[in-house]
Amino acid sequence: MPLQTLMPDSLDEPSPAQPVAPTGWCSEEFAEIYREHSRPIYYLTLRFLGSPAQAEDAMHDVFLKAYRKMAQFRGKSAVRTWLYRIAINHCQNLRQAWHHRNILPSGDDVDLDAAGGQSENPLRLLETKELGARIQQALDGLSEEYRLLLLLVADEELSYDEIGQLTEQTPDAVRGKLHRARKAFQLHFARTA
Amino acid sequence: MNEPSHRLRQETREENSVVPHAEQRQETTSAREFASVDELIRHDAAGTKVPGAVTDRVQQAVAGERARPAASWWRRFFGETNL
Repeated sequence: MPLQTLMPDSLDEPSPAQPVAPTGWCSEEFAEIYREHSRPIYYLTLRFLGSPAQAEDAMHDVFLKAYRKMAQFRGKSAVRTWLYRIAINHCQNLRQAWHHRNILPSGDDVDLDAAGGQSENPLRLLETKELGARIQQALDGLSEEYRLLLLLVADEELSYDEIGQLTEQTPDAVRGKLHRARKAFQLHFARTA
Repeated sequence: MNEPSHRLRQETREENSVVPHAEQRQETTSAREFASVDELIRHDAAGTKVPGAVTDRVQQAVAGERARPAASWWRRFFGETNL
């Protein structure tokens, strides 16, 4: 009886030059972890790194590391929090490697007071394929800290306590920075129109 | 706490455009408002799927880990070393 393939939804388009992958997972337990958590982890790596290719590499490294450490993880925290921690550390290490080559505007010094004067909702947009690109562009204009906070709070399964643990700060600090991060994102997003 | 008086509403609007010198054609564009940045990003996240190639690659990597030969007894006794 073949193993049931517990694969998340994948893109419809075929991968033209991919080798034939083995069907099914060799570990049912890990397959379940992947099925349940791969999408939010992928989204974090994609939007944090800003590149599908880098996100693919990161996903490979993150879940391989998780697989290797699965035996050591025994409910010390929620599985998703554990996976996020691996993913965040991995992505931050990658970003550190390019930090000196790519000087990006932090976005933290934008005039947040200007956001209150806008008469039109900057979040109003035509639903187009470019939505993801605009969101990415807006996130790229933020500091890594703000970007990470917005991506984590977008996951409704994470509490402020868990976000605080992942970002090594108190829940109150998380709330305060999120407020500023949202305003900064709105300004950057409006500029992408 | 009082809620903002101009709370943003989520609405969908259809616009019709008429092309001159041609038969009338209706183009529908949908405008969407998001109530918050969180909602916008969650909408984006909900529409983002893990590519099949990524899943295949992770599967292969995990399968490769399983295929690794077991550590010899003295390595298990003295501890794993990365070669």
